[in-house]
Amino acid sequence: MQKQLLQGNQAIVMAAEAAGLKFFAGYPITPASEILHEMVSRKDIMVLQMEDEIASINAVIGASLAGLKVMTATSGPGFSLMQESIGLAHMMEVPLVIVNVQRVGPSTGMPTLPAQGDVIQCIHGSHGDYFPIVFYPNSVSELYTYTIMAFNAAEESMSPVILLSDGYISHLYETIVPHRDVEIRERSRLPLGMSNRHFTGLSHEDSMPKTSDVDNYRRLIAHLYEKQQVTARQYNHYEYRQCRKETDTLLIAYGALSRAAYYFKDDCALYRPVRIFPVVEEVKSIAPQYKRILVMEMNKGQYAHEIERILHREVECIPILGGRIDLDEIKQEIRQKMYE
Amino acid sequence: MNKETDFKRFLKLDLLPTPWCPGCGNGIVLKTICQVFDELDMPMKGTVVVSGIGCAGRSAGFFNLDSVHTAHGRAIPVAEGIKYANEALNVVVVSGDGDLLGIGGNHLLHAIRRKTDITVICYANEIYGMTGGQASPITPHNIKTLTTPDGNPDYPTDVQPLFRHNNSYFARTTAYHLNHMKKCIREALKFKGFSFVEVRTMCIVNYGRRLGYKNSNEMLLHYKEFYKINDSAGELAGNEIGIVKGLSQITDDR
Ligand code: SF4
Repeated sequence: MQKQLLQGNQAIVMAAEAAGLKFFAGYPITPASEILHEMVSRKDIMVLQMEDEIASINAVIGASLAGLKVMTATSGPGFSLMQESIGLAHMMEVPLVIVNVQRVGPSTGMPTLPAQGDVIQCIHGSHGDYFPIVFYPNSVSELYTYTIMAFNAAEESMSPVILLSDGYISHLYETIVPHRDVEIRERSRLPLGMSNRHFTGLSHEDSMPKTSDVDNYRRLIAHLYEKQQVTARQYNHYEYRQCRKETDTLLIAYGALSRAAYYFKDDCALYRPVRIFPVVEEVKSIAPQYKRILVMEMNKGQYAHEIERILHREVECIPILGGRIDLDEIKQEIRQKMYE
Repeated sequence: MNKETDFKRFLKLDLLPTPWCPGCGNGIVLKTICQVFDELDMPMKGTVVVSGIGCAGRSAGFFNLDSVHTAHGRAIPVAEGIKYANEALNVVVVSGDGDLLGIGGNHLLHAIRRKTDITVICYANEIYGMTGGQASPITPHNIKTLTTPDGNPDYPTDVQPLFRHNNSYFARTTAYHLNHMKKCIREALKFKGFSFVEVRTMCIVNYGRRLGYKNSNEMLLHYKEFYKINDSAGELAGNEIGIVKGLSQITDDR
Protein backbone atom coordinates (compact mmCIF):
# COMPACT_ATOMS: atom_id res chain seq x y z
CA MET A 1 0.00 0.00 0.00
CA GLN A 2 1.05 3.57 -0.69
CA LYS A 3 2.32 6.02 1.88
CA GLN A 4 -0.23 8.64 2.85
CA LEU A 5 -0.10 11.85 4.83
CA LEU A 6 -2.96 11.53 7.29
CA GLN A 7 -4.34 13.32 10.30
CA GLY A 8 -4.86 11.10 13.34
CA ASN A 9 -8.64 11.41 13.18
CA GLN A 10 -8.58 10.58 9.45
CA ALA A 11 -6.54 7.47 10.15
CA ILE A 12 -9.17 6.33 12.64
CA VAL A 13 -11.89 6.66 9.98
CA MET A 14 -9.86 4.85 7.32
CA ALA A 15 -9.09 2.02 9.71
CA ALA A 16 -12.69 1.75 10.85
CA GLU A 17 -13.78 1.45 7.25
CA ALA A 18 -11.17 -1.24 6.65
CA ALA A 19 -12.39 -3.08 9.76
CA GLY A 20 -15.91 -3.24 8.33
CA LEU A 21 -17.61 -0.28 9.99
CA LYS A 22 -21.12 0.17 8.59
CA PHE A 23 -22.81 2.51 11.07
CA PHE A 24 -21.62 5.63 12.86
CA ALA A 25 -23.60 7.92 15.15
CA GLY A 26 -22.07 10.92 16.83
CA TYR A 27 -22.33 14.49 18.04
CA PRO A 28 -19.85 17.26 17.19
CA ILE A 29 -17.19 17.95 19.80
CA THR A 30 -13.65 19.28 19.66
CA PRO A 31 -11.17 17.60 19.13
CA ALA A 32 -13.10 14.58 17.78
CA SER A 33 -15.31 16.30 15.18
CA GLU A 34 -13.09 15.47 12.19
CA ILE A 35 -14.08 11.85 12.65
CA LEU A 36 -17.74 12.77 12.10
CA HIS A 37 -16.78 15.02 9.15
CA GLU A 38 -14.76 12.25 7.50
CA MET A 39 -17.48 9.69 8.08
CA VAL A 40 -20.19 11.58 6.20
CA SER A 41 -18.16 11.37 2.99
CA ARG A 42 -18.02 7.56 3.16
CA LYS A 43 -20.59 6.03 0.83
CA ASP A 44 -20.82 2.62 2.49
CA ILE A 45 -21.17 3.89 6.06
CA MET A 46 -24.52 5.06 7.43
CA VAL A 47 -23.88 8.19 9.48
CA LEU A 48 -26.29 9.85 11.90
CA GLN A 49 -25.62 13.15 13.59
CA MET A 50 -27.63 12.69 16.76
CA GLU A 51 -29.01 15.25 19.22
CA ASP A 52 -26.41 14.37 21.86
CA GLU A 53 -23.90 11.75 22.89
CA ILE A 54 -26.50 9.78 24.85
CA ALA A 55 -28.53 9.31 21.68
CA SER A 56 -25.34 8.49 19.77
CA ILE A 57 -24.24 5.61 21.98
CA ASN A 58 -27.78 4.24 22.12
CA ALA A 59 -28.19 4.41 18.34
CA VAL A 60 -24.98 2.46 17.85
CA ILE A 61 -26.14 -0.11 20.40
CA GLY A 62 -29.32 -0.60 18.36
CA ALA A 63 -27.47 -0.78 15.05
CA SER A 64 -24.97 -3.26 16.48
CA LEU A 65 -27.76 -5.53 17.71
CA ALA A 66 -29.27 -5.23 14.25
CA GLY A 67 -26.10 -6.76 12.85
CA LEU A 68 -23.71 -3.99 11.81
CA LYS A 69 -20.24 -3.06 12.94
CA VAL A 70 -20.65 0.29 14.70
CA MET A 71 -18.67 3.11 16.23
CA THR A 72 -19.11 6.46 17.93
CA ALA A 73 -16.50 9.12 18.65
CA THR A 74 -16.41 11.88 21.21
CA SER A 75 -14.32 13.76 23.76
CA GLY A 76 -14.46 13.90 27.57
CA PRO A 77 -17.77 15.72 28.12
CA GLY A 78 -19.54 13.51 25.58
CA PHE A 79 -17.87 10.42 26.99
CA SER A 80 -19.29 11.28 30.42
CA LEU A 81 -22.78 11.46 28.91
CA MET A 82 -22.36 8.01 27.38
CA GLN A 83 -21.43 6.27 30.61
CA GLU A 84 -24.83 4.85 31.57
CA SER A 85 -25.30 3.18 28.22
CA ILE A 86 -21.72 1.90 28.14
CA GLY A 87 -22.81 -0.14 31.16
CA LEU A 88 -25.92 -1.24 29.27
CA ALA A 89 -23.81 -2.40 26.32
CA HIS A 90 -21.59 -4.43 28.65
CA MET A 91 -24.61 -6.03 30.28
CA MET A 92 -26.25 -6.85 26.93
CA GLU A 93 -22.89 -7.89 25.40
CA VAL A 94 -23.04 -5.52 22.45
CA PRO A 95 -19.87 -5.16 20.35
CA LEU A 96 -19.07 -1.53 19.53
CA VAL A 97 -16.14 0.86 19.42
CA ILE A 98 -16.01 4.18 21.27
CA VAL A 99 -13.28 6.65 20.38
CA ASN A 100 -12.50 9.23 23.04
CA VAL A 101 -10.22 12.03 21.82
CA GLN A 102 -9.33 13.56 25.18
CA ARG A 103 -9.12 17.26 25.90
CA VAL A 104 -8.46 19.18 29.10
CA GLY A 105 -11.17 18.92 31.76
CA PRO A 106 -13.06 18.84 34.08
CA SER A 107 -16.13 20.29 32.42
CA THR A 108 -15.54 22.35 29.29
CA GLY A 109 -11.90 22.75 30.32
CA MET A 110 -9.63 23.61 27.41
CA PRO A 111 -11.35 22.20 24.32
CA THR A 112 -8.47 22.49 21.86
CA LEU A 113 -5.70 21.21 24.10
CA PRO A 114 -4.78 17.57 24.74
CA ALA A 115 -5.10 15.75 28.06
CA GLN A 116 -5.24 12.26 29.50
CA GLY A 117 -7.85 12.97 32.11
CA ASP A 118 -10.41 10.35 31.10
CA VAL A 119 -8.23 7.34 31.78
CA ILE A 120 -9.95 6.24 34.96
CA GLN A 121 -13.36 7.17 33.55
CA CYS A 122 -12.86 4.41 30.97
CA ILE A 123 -12.96 1.74 33.63
CA HIS A 124 -14.98 3.33 36.41
CA GLY A 125 -17.24 5.81 34.59
CA SER A 126 -20.36 3.67 34.54
CA HIS A 127 -22.00 2.15 37.60
CA GLY A 128 -21.52 -1.41 38.73
CA ASP A 129 -18.76 -3.86 37.81
CA TYR A 130 -17.62 -4.09 34.23
CA PHE A 131 -14.21 -4.74 32.71
CA PRO A 132 -13.56 -2.83 29.52
CA ILE A 133 -10.68 -3.27 27.11
CA VAL A 134 -8.99 0.06 26.35
CA PHE A 135 -6.28 0.90 23.80
CA TYR A 136 -4.22 4.07 23.73
CA PRO A 137 -1.90 4.38 20.69
CA ASN A 138 0.70 7.15 20.37
CA SER A 139 1.00 7.88 16.64
CA VAL A 140 -1.14 8.25 13.54
CA SER A 141 0.08 4.91 12.29
CA GLU A 142 -0.78 3.25 15.60
CA LEU A 143 -4.20 4.90 15.62
CA TYR A 144 -4.79 3.08 12.34
CA THR A 145 -3.63 -0.28 13.63
CA TYR A 146 -5.37 -0.14 16.98
CA THR A 147 -8.67 1.07 15.53
CA ILE A 148 -8.75 -2.22 13.64
CA MET A 149 -7.70 -4.09 16.78
CA ALA A 150 -10.47 -2.34 18.72
CA PHE A 151 -13.07 -3.62 16.25
CA ASN A 152 -11.65 -7.12 16.47
CA ALA A 153 -11.53 -7.06 20.26
CA ALA A 154 -15.13 -5.79 20.35
CA GLU A 155 -16.31 -8.72 18.25
CA GLU A 156 -14.26 -11.18 20.21
CA SER A 157 -15.43 -9.96 23.61
CA MET A 158 -18.95 -8.97 22.47
CA SER A 159 -18.54 -5.72 24.34
CA PRO A 160 -17.74 -2.02 23.93
CA VAL A 161 -14.03 -1.41 23.36
CA ILE A 162 -12.57 2.03 23.97
CA LEU A 163 -9.92 3.63 21.78
CA LEU A 164 -8.32 6.53 23.60
CA SER A 165 -6.68 9.31 21.72
CA ASP A 166 -6.02 12.95 22.58
CA GLY A 167 -6.14 16.31 20.89
CA TYR A 168 -2.42 16.01 20.17
CA ILE A 169 -2.21 12.73 18.25
CA SER A 170 -5.66 13.05 16.71
CA HIS A 171 -4.71 16.39 15.18
CA LEU A 172 -1.21 15.32 14.23
CA TYR A 173 -0.34 14.73 10.55
CA GLU A 174 2.05 11.86 9.87
CA THR A 175 2.97 9.81 6.86
CA ILE A 176 1.78 6.26 7.32
CA VAL A 177 1.32 3.11 5.29
CA PRO A 178 -2.23 2.07 6.05
CA HIS A 179 -1.96 -1.69 5.93
CA ARG A 180 -3.85 -4.34 7.77
CA ASP A 181 -1.55 -6.84 9.31
CA VAL A 182 -4.36 -8.41 11.28
CA GLU A 183 -7.25 -10.45 10.05
CA ILE A 184 -10.62 -8.71 10.28
CA ARG A 185 -12.99 -10.56 12.56
CA GLU A 186 -16.47 -11.27 11.28
CA ARG A 187 -19.71 -10.71 13.19
CA SER A 188 -20.69 -13.90 14.92
CA ARG A 189 -24.04 -13.20 16.54
CA LEU A 190 -27.41 -13.47 14.84
CA PRO A 191 -28.80 -9.97 14.08
CA LEU A 192 -32.15 -8.82 15.48
CA GLY A 193 -35.28 -9.90 13.69
CA MET A 194 -34.47 -13.60 13.31
CA SER A 195 -35.57 -15.04 16.61
CA ASN A 196 -37.22 -14.27 19.95
CA ARG A 197 -34.28 -13.26 22.08
CA HIS A 198 -34.54 -10.58 24.75
CA PHE A 199 -31.72 -8.14 25.46
CA THR A 200 -31.83 -6.37 28.80
CA GLY A 201 -29.69 -4.35 31.17
CA LEU A 202 -31.27 -6.23 34.06
CA SER A 203 -29.45 -9.13 35.61
CA HIS A 204 -30.48 -12.06 33.45
CA GLU A 205 -29.97 -15.69 32.54
CA ASP A 206 -30.30 -16.91 28.96
CA SER A 207 -31.53 -13.42 28.10
CA MET A 208 -34.46 -13.47 30.54
CA PRO A 209 -34.49 -11.03 33.49
CA LYS A 210 -33.55 -12.41 36.91
CA THR A 211 -33.54 -9.56 39.33
CA SER A 212 -33.42 -11.21 42.72
CA ASP A 213 -31.32 -14.32 42.12
CA VAL A 214 -28.00 -13.49 43.77
CA ASP A 215 -26.21 -16.66 42.66
CA ASN A 216 -27.21 -16.03 39.06
CA TYR A 217 -25.87 -12.46 39.26
CA ARG A 218 -22.54 -13.71 40.60
CA ARG A 219 -22.32 -16.22 37.75
CA LEU A 220 -23.16 -13.49 35.24
CA ILE A 221 -20.46 -11.11 36.49
CA ALA A 222 -17.90 -13.95 36.66
CA HIS A 223 -18.72 -14.81 33.06
CA LEU A 224 -18.40 -11.18 31.90
CA TYR A 225 -15.11 -10.77 33.77
CA GLU A 226 -13.61 -13.99 32.42
CA LYS A 227 -14.65 -13.20 28.86
CA GLN A 228 -13.00 -9.77 29.00
CA GLN A 229 -9.78 -11.17 30.49
CA VAL A 230 -9.54 -13.93 27.88
CA THR A 231 -9.99 -11.44 25.04
CA ALA A 232 -7.63 -8.89 26.58
CA ARG A 233 -4.85 -11.51 26.69
CA GLN A 234 -4.99 -11.69 22.90
CA TYR A 235 -4.01 -8.03 22.84
CA ASN A 236 -1.09 -7.76 25.28
CA HIS A 237 0.35 -4.73 23.54
CA TYR A 238 3.03 -2.66 25.24
CA GLU A 239 6.49 -1.29 24.56
CA TYR A 240 9.48 -1.80 26.84
CA ARG A 241 12.90 -0.28 26.18
CA GLN A 242 15.77 -1.11 28.45
CA CYS A 243 18.31 1.62 28.94
CA ARG A 244 21.76 1.28 27.38
CA LYS A 245 23.25 2.74 30.51
CA GLU A 246 22.89 1.41 34.05
CA THR A 247 19.73 2.86 35.51
CA ASP A 248 17.53 2.34 38.51
CA THR A 249 14.59 4.25 37.00
CA LEU A 250 11.66 3.02 34.95
CA LEU A 251 9.68 5.79 33.28
CA ILE A 252 6.08 4.91 32.42
CA ALA A 253 4.20 7.06 29.92
CA TYR A 254 1.50 6.42 27.33
CA GLY A 255 -0.32 8.12 24.46
CA ALA A 256 0.84 11.57 23.38
CA LEU A 257 3.16 12.02 26.33
CA SER A 258 5.06 8.79 25.64
CA ARG A 259 6.49 10.54 22.58
CA ALA A 260 8.20 13.05 24.87
CA ALA A 261 9.33 10.18 27.11
CA TYR A 262 11.51 8.72 24.29
CA TYR A 263 13.78 11.69 24.82
CA PHE A 264 14.91 10.10 28.09
CA LYS A 265 15.80 6.71 26.65
CA ASP A 266 19.45 7.21 27.59
CA ASP A 267 18.64 8.14 31.15
CA CYS A 268 16.11 5.54 32.17
CA ALA A 269 14.17 2.50 30.98
CA LEU A 270 10.83 3.15 29.30
CA TYR A 271 7.56 1.31 29.57
CA ARG A 272 4.55 2.26 27.47
CA PRO A 273 1.27 0.41 27.80
CA VAL A 274 -0.81 0.40 24.60
CA ARG A 275 -3.64 -1.78 25.81
CA ILE A 276 -3.86 0.28 28.93
CA PHE A 277 -6.80 -1.62 30.47
CA PRO A 278 -6.85 -4.24 31.80
CA VAL A 279 -3.30 -3.34 32.87
CA VAL A 280 -0.85 -5.58 30.98
CA GLU A 281 0.48 -8.17 33.45
CA GLU A 282 4.05 -7.97 32.11
CA VAL A 283 4.64 -4.75 34.03
CA LYS A 284 4.80 -6.95 37.14
CA SER A 285 7.91 -8.74 35.89
CA ILE A 286 9.54 -5.62 34.46
CA ALA A 287 9.11 -3.31 37.46
CA PRO A 288 11.13 -5.23 40.12
CA GLN A 289 14.37 -4.50 38.23
CA TYR A 290 14.02 -0.83 39.03
CA LYS A 291 14.32 1.02 42.30
CA ARG A 292 12.34 4.00 41.12
CA ILE A 293 9.19 4.08 39.04
CA LEU A 294 8.02 7.34 37.52
CA VAL A 295 4.64 7.65 35.87
CA MET A 296 4.33 10.68 33.66
CA GLU A 297 0.82 11.53 32.47
CA MET A 298 -1.38 14.45 31.51
CA ASN A 299 -3.54 14.20 34.62
CA LYS A 300 -3.00 14.25 38.35
CA GLY A 301 -1.89 10.63 38.60
CA GLN A 302 -4.75 8.47 37.36
CA TYR A 303 -2.65 5.68 35.86
CA ALA A 304 0.01 6.04 38.56
CA HIS A 305 -2.61 4.89 41.08
CA GLU A 306 -3.44 1.89 38.92
CA ILE A 307 0.23 0.94 38.59
CA GLU A 308 0.71 1.36 42.32
CA ARG A 309 -2.23 -0.90 42.97
CA ILE A 310 -0.97 -3.57 40.58
CA LEU A 311 2.64 -3.48 41.80
CA HIS A 312 1.91 -3.02 45.50
CA ARG A 313 4.63 -0.41 45.77
CA GLU A 314 4.98 3.30 45.66
CA VAL A 315 5.41 5.04 42.32
CA GLU A 316 6.21 8.68 41.73
CA CYS A 317 3.92 10.69 39.58
CA ILE A 318 4.76 13.47 37.16
CA PRO A 319 1.59 15.31 36.24
CA ILE A 320 1.81 17.36 33.05
CA LEU A 321 -1.29 19.53 33.19
CA GLY A 322 -3.13 22.01 31.02
CA GLY A 323 -2.22 20.53 27.65
CA ARG A 324 1.32 21.88 27.41
CA ILE A 325 4.02 19.34 26.57
CA ASP A 326 7.21 21.33 27.11
CA LEU A 327 10.40 19.33 26.94
CA ASP A 328 12.39 21.69 29.15
CA GLU A 329 9.75 21.55 31.81
CA ILE A 330 9.57 17.75 31.58
CA LYS A 331 13.39 17.46 31.71
CA GLN A 332 13.47 19.49 34.85
CA GLU A 333 10.72 17.41 36.47
CA ILE A 334 12.35 14.10 35.60
CA ARG A 335 15.90 15.09 36.53
CA GLN A 336 14.63 16.43 39.81
CA LYS A 337 12.88 13.13 40.59
CA MET A 338 15.86 11.05 39.48
CA TYR A 339 18.59 12.92 41.27
CA GLU A 340 16.87 14.53 44.20
CA MET B 1 -56.39 -21.68 14.29
CA ASN B 2 -59.08 -19.81 16.14
CA LYS B 3 -58.59 -16.14 15.23
CA GLU B 4 -59.59 -15.11 18.75
CA THR B 5 -56.57 -16.75 20.35
CA ASP B 6 -54.04 -16.10 17.62
CA PHE B 7 -52.64 -13.00 19.30
CA LYS B 8 -51.08 -15.25 21.93
CA ARG B 9 -48.42 -16.30 19.46
CA PHE B 10 -46.90 -12.86 20.04
CA LEU B 11 -46.54 -13.50 23.77
CA LYS B 12 -44.04 -15.58 25.69
CA LEU B 13 -46.84 -17.28 27.59
CA ASP B 14 -44.49 -19.33 29.76
CA LEU B 15 -43.19 -16.11 31.30
CA LEU B 16 -46.59 -14.96 32.51
CA PRO B 17 -47.69 -13.58 34.89
CA THR B 18 -46.17 -10.15 34.33
CA PRO B 19 -44.68 -8.24 37.27
CA TRP B 20 -47.58 -5.76 37.11
CA CYS B 21 -49.96 -5.14 40.00
CA PRO B 22 -53.43 -6.69 39.83
CA GLY B 23 -55.70 -4.17 38.11
CA CYS B 24 -52.92 -2.41 36.24
CA GLY B 25 -53.89 -1.16 32.80
CA ASN B 26 -50.60 -2.22 31.21
CA GLY B 27 -51.92 -5.71 30.54
CA ILE B 28 -54.81 -4.32 28.49
CA VAL B 29 -52.40 -2.37 26.30
CA LEU B 30 -50.01 -5.31 25.93
CA LYS B 31 -52.84 -7.60 24.88
CA THR B 32 -54.24 -5.04 22.43
CA ILE B 33 -50.85 -4.52 20.80
CA CYS B 34 -50.55 -8.28 20.31
CA GLN B 35 -54.07 -8.42 18.86
CA VAL B 36 -53.18 -5.73 16.33
CA PHE B 37 -49.89 -7.48 15.54
CA ASP B 38 -51.96 -10.58 14.86
CA GLU B 39 -54.55 -8.75 12.80
CA LEU B 40 -51.83 -7.17 10.64
CA ASP B 41 -49.99 -10.49 10.61
CA MET B 42 -46.75 -8.78 11.60
CA PRO B 43 -43.83 -11.08 10.76
CA MET B 44 -42.56 -12.84 13.89
CA LYS B 45 -39.12 -12.69 12.33
CA GLY B 46 -38.80 -9.14 11.17
CA THR B 47 -40.48 -7.33 14.04
CA VAL B 48 -38.51 -5.95 16.98
CA VAL B 49 -39.90 -4.44 20.19
CA VAL B 50 -37.81 -1.93 22.15
CA SER B 51 -38.58 -0.48 25.56
CA GLY B 52 -37.11 1.81 28.18
CA ILE B 53 -37.39 1.51 31.96
CA GLY B 54 -40.41 1.46 34.25
CA CYS B 55 -43.51 -0.69 34.61
CA ALA B 56 -44.42 -0.28 30.92
CA GLY B 57 -40.79 -0.83 29.99
CA ARG B 58 -41.04 -4.39 31.24
CA SER B 59 -43.43 -5.16 28.35
CA ALA B 60 -40.67 -5.82 25.85
CA GLY B 61 -39.62 -9.06 27.52
CA PHE B 62 -43.06 -10.58 27.11
CA PHE B 63 -43.17 -10.36 23.34
CA ASN B 64 -42.37 -13.57 21.55
CA LEU B 65 -40.16 -11.56 19.19
CA ASP B 66 -36.65 -10.17 19.35
CA SER B 67 -36.78 -7.44 21.95
CA VAL B 68 -34.48 -4.94 23.63
CA HIS B 69 -35.01 -3.51 27.12
CA THR B 70 -32.80 -0.43 27.16
CA ALA B 71 -31.80 2.19 29.74
CA HIS B 72 -34.23 4.72 31.19
CA GLY B 73 -35.42 7.07 28.42
CA ARG B 74 -33.27 5.55 25.70
CA ALA B 75 -35.66 3.28 23.83
CA ILE B 76 -36.14 5.69 20.91
CA PRO B 77 -32.47 6.17 19.90
CA VAL B 78 -31.87 2.41 20.23
CA ALA B 79 -34.93 1.77 18.05
CA GLU B 80 -33.70 4.34 15.52
CA GLY B 81 -30.31 2.63 15.37
CA ILE B 82 -32.04 -0.69 14.67
CA LYS B 83 -34.28 0.80 11.99
CA TYR B 84 -31.47 2.64 10.19
CA ALA B 85 -29.27 -0.46 10.35
CA ASN B 86 -31.97 -2.66 8.84
CA GLU B 87 -34.84 -0.86 7.13
CA ALA B 88 -36.68 -4.09 6.54
CA LEU B 89 -37.43 -4.52 10.24
CA ASN B 90 -40.66 -3.31 11.83
CA VAL B 91 -39.51 -1.49 14.94
CA VAL B 92 -41.98 -0.77 17.74
CA VAL B 93 -41.22 1.08 20.97
CA VAL B 94 -43.35 0.44 24.06
CA SER B 95 -42.69 2.51 27.17
CA GLY B 96 -44.23 4.84 29.73
CA ASP B 97 -44.83 8.58 29.82
CA GLY B 98 -42.06 9.21 32.33
CA ASP B 99 -39.60 7.33 30.13
CA LEU B 100 -40.63 8.74 26.74
CA LEU B 101 -41.67 12.29 27.64
CA GLY B 102 -39.53 12.96 30.73
CA ILE B 103 -36.02 11.57 30.71
CA GLY B 104 -36.28 10.64 27.01
CA GLY B 105 -38.09 13.78 25.85
CA ASN B 106 -35.12 15.11 23.91
CA HIS B 107 -34.91 11.94 21.84
CA LEU B 108 -38.63 12.07 21.06
CA LEU B 109 -38.29 15.63 19.79
CA HIS B 110 -35.51 14.64 17.40
CA ALA B 111 -36.96 11.34 16.25
CA ILE B 112 -40.02 13.30 15.11
CA ARG B 113 -37.71 15.69 13.26
CA ARG B 114 -35.84 12.79 11.62
CA LYS B 115 -39.16 11.13 10.74
CA THR B 116 -37.67 7.76 11.57
CA ASP B 117 -40.09 5.08 10.40
CA ILE B 118 -40.85 3.56 13.81
CA THR B 119 -43.98 3.32 15.94
CA VAL B 120 -43.97 4.40 19.58
CA ILE B 121 -46.72 3.23 21.92
CA CYS B 122 -46.77 5.21 25.15
CA TYR B 123 -48.51 3.71 28.18
CA ALA B 124 -49.56 7.08 29.59
CA ASN B 125 -50.53 6.52 33.22
CA GLU B 126 -49.68 10.07 34.37
CA ILE B 127 -47.33 8.86 37.11
CA TYR B 128 -44.03 7.16 37.84
CA GLY B 129 -45.45 3.81 38.89
CA MET B 130 -42.43 1.60 39.39
CA THR B 131 -40.66 4.06 41.69
CA GLY B 132 -43.69 4.53 43.89
CA GLY B 133 -45.77 7.40 42.51
CA GLN B 134 -43.78 10.53 41.75
CA ALA B 135 -45.08 13.21 39.34
CA SER B 136 -44.59 12.54 35.63
CA PRO B 137 -44.51 15.06 32.75
CA ILE B 138 -48.25 14.50 32.21
CA THR B 139 -49.45 14.48 35.81
CA PRO B 140 -52.29 17.04 35.78
CA HIS B 141 -52.05 20.41 37.53
CA ASN B 142 -52.78 20.41 41.28
CA ILE B 143 -52.63 16.62 41.65
CA LYS B 144 -50.91 15.34 44.77
CA THR B 145 -48.11 12.84 44.26
CA LEU B 146 -45.11 11.74 46.35
CA THR B 147 -43.09 14.61 44.91
CA THR B 148 -45.91 17.17 44.76
CA PRO B 149 -47.46 16.85 48.23
CA ASP B 150 -49.13 20.27 47.92
CA GLY B 151 -50.46 19.54 44.45
CA ASN B 152 -48.57 19.62 41.14
CA PRO B 153 -47.54 23.25 40.50
CA ASP B 154 -46.82 22.46 36.83
CA TYR B 155 -49.13 21.84 33.93
CA PRO B 156 -48.95 18.60 31.93
CA THR B 157 -47.04 18.58 28.68
CA ASP B 158 -48.88 17.85 25.44
CA VAL B 159 -46.72 16.65 22.58
CA GLN B 160 -49.34 16.47 19.82
CA PRO B 161 -48.45 19.79 18.11
CA LEU B 162 -44.91 18.49 17.54
CA PHE B 163 -46.27 15.67 15.45
CA ARG B 164 -48.73 17.79 13.55
CA HIS B 165 -46.10 20.28 12.47
CA ASN B 166 -43.70 17.56 11.41
CA ASN B 167 -46.18 15.49 9.41
CA SER B 168 -45.90 12.60 11.76
CA TYR B 169 -48.69 10.52 13.23
CA PHE B 170 -50.16 11.16 16.68
CA ALA B 171 -53.09 9.39 18.30
CA ARG B 172 -54.51 9.49 21.80
CA THR B 173 -56.69 6.69 23.08
CA THR B 174 -57.47 4.95 26.37
CA ALA B 175 -57.43 1.51 27.94
CA TYR B 176 -61.24 1.64 28.05
CA HIS B 177 -61.80 2.31 24.34
CA LEU B 178 -60.51 -1.04 23.09
CA ASN B 179 -61.65 -0.80 19.49
CA HIS B 180 -60.43 2.76 19.25
CA MET B 181 -57.08 1.75 20.72
CA LYS B 182 -56.81 -1.01 18.13
CA LYS B 183 -57.59 1.39 15.36
CA CYS B 184 -54.97 3.87 16.56
CA ILE B 185 -52.26 1.23 16.92
CA ARG B 186 -53.17 -0.34 13.58
CA GLU B 187 -52.96 2.98 11.74
CA ALA B 188 -49.74 3.90 13.53
CA LEU B 189 -48.11 0.63 12.52
CA LYS B 190 -49.20 1.15 8.94
CA PHE B 191 -48.03 4.77 8.89
CA LYS B 192 -44.84 5.34 6.91
CA GLY B 193 -42.81 7.65 9.10
CA PHE B 194 -42.75 8.42 12.80
CA SER B 195 -45.92 7.48 14.63
CA PHE B 196 -46.89 7.83 18.28
CA VAL B 197 -49.86 6.44 20.16
CA GLU B 198 -50.55 7.78 23.64
CA VAL B 199 -52.69 5.27 25.52
CA ARG B 200 -54.18 6.67 28.71
CA THR B 201 -54.03 3.77 31.11
CA MET B 202 -54.43 3.28 34.81
CA CYS B 203 -51.92 2.78 37.56
CA ILE B 204 -54.30 1.87 40.33
CA VAL B 205 -51.69 1.07 42.98
CA ASN B 206 -49.43 4.12 42.97
CA TYR B 207 -51.77 6.73 41.48
CA GLY B 208 -55.46 5.83 41.32
CA ARG B 209 -55.55 4.75 44.95
CA ARG B 210 -54.29 8.18 46.03
CA LEU B 211 -56.75 9.92 43.72
CA GLY B 212 -59.58 8.14 45.51
CA TYR B 213 -60.57 5.45 43.02
CA LYS B 214 -61.80 2.43 44.93
CA ASN B 215 -60.64 -0.08 42.35
CA SER B 216 -59.18 -0.24 38.87
CA ASN B 217 -62.56 -0.74 37.27
CA GLU B 218 -63.76 2.56 38.68
CA MET B 219 -60.63 4.19 37.33
CA LEU B 220 -61.19 2.60 33.92
CA LEU B 221 -64.77 3.87 33.81
CA HIS B 222 -63.42 7.38 34.33
CA TYR B 223 -61.89 7.12 30.86
CA LYS B 224 -65.26 6.10 29.48
CA GLU B 225 -66.95 9.13 30.96
CA PHE B 226 -64.21 11.70 30.58
CA TYR B 227 -62.87 11.12 27.07
CA LYS B 228 -64.83 11.76 23.86
CA ILE B 229 -63.74 10.37 20.51
CA ASN B 230 -62.85 12.96 17.88
CA ASP B 231 -60.99 11.26 15.05
CA SER B 232 -61.05 14.11 12.58
CA ALA B 233 -59.70 16.90 14.73
CA GLY B 234 -56.75 19.05 13.75
CA GLU B 235 -55.88 19.15 17.40
CA LEU B 236 -57.29 17.21 20.34
CA ALA B 237 -58.65 18.96 23.41
CA GLY B 238 -57.67 17.69 26.87
CA ASN B 239 -60.73 15.46 27.13
CA GLU B 240 -60.62 14.18 23.57
CA ILE B 241 -59.13 11.05 22.10
CA GLY B 242 -58.54 10.58 18.41
CA ILE B 243 -56.08 10.74 15.58
CA VAL B 244 -54.19 13.88 14.62
CA LYS B 245 -52.63 13.97 11.23
CA GLY B 246 -49.81 16.19 10.04
CA LEU B 247 -50.60 19.39 8.17
CA SER B 248 -49.71 18.12 4.72
CA GLN B 249 -51.51 14.85 5.34
CA ILE B 250 -54.65 16.88 5.91
CA THR B 251 -54.06 18.70 2.63
CA ASP B 252 -53.57 15.39 0.85
CA ASP B 253 -56.85 14.09 2.20
CA ARG B 254 -58.83 16.85 0.56
S1 SF4 C 1 -47.24 0.52 39.90
FE1 SF4 C 1 -48.95 1.20 38.66
S2 SF4 C 1 -48.23 1.15 36.56
FE2 SF4 C 1 -46.81 -0.06 37.79
S3 SF4 C 1 -47.59 -2.15 37.64
FE3 SF4 C 1 -48.48 -1.28 39.48
S4 SF4 C 1 -50.42 -0.45 38.78
FE4 SF4 C 1 -49.21 -0.81 36.96
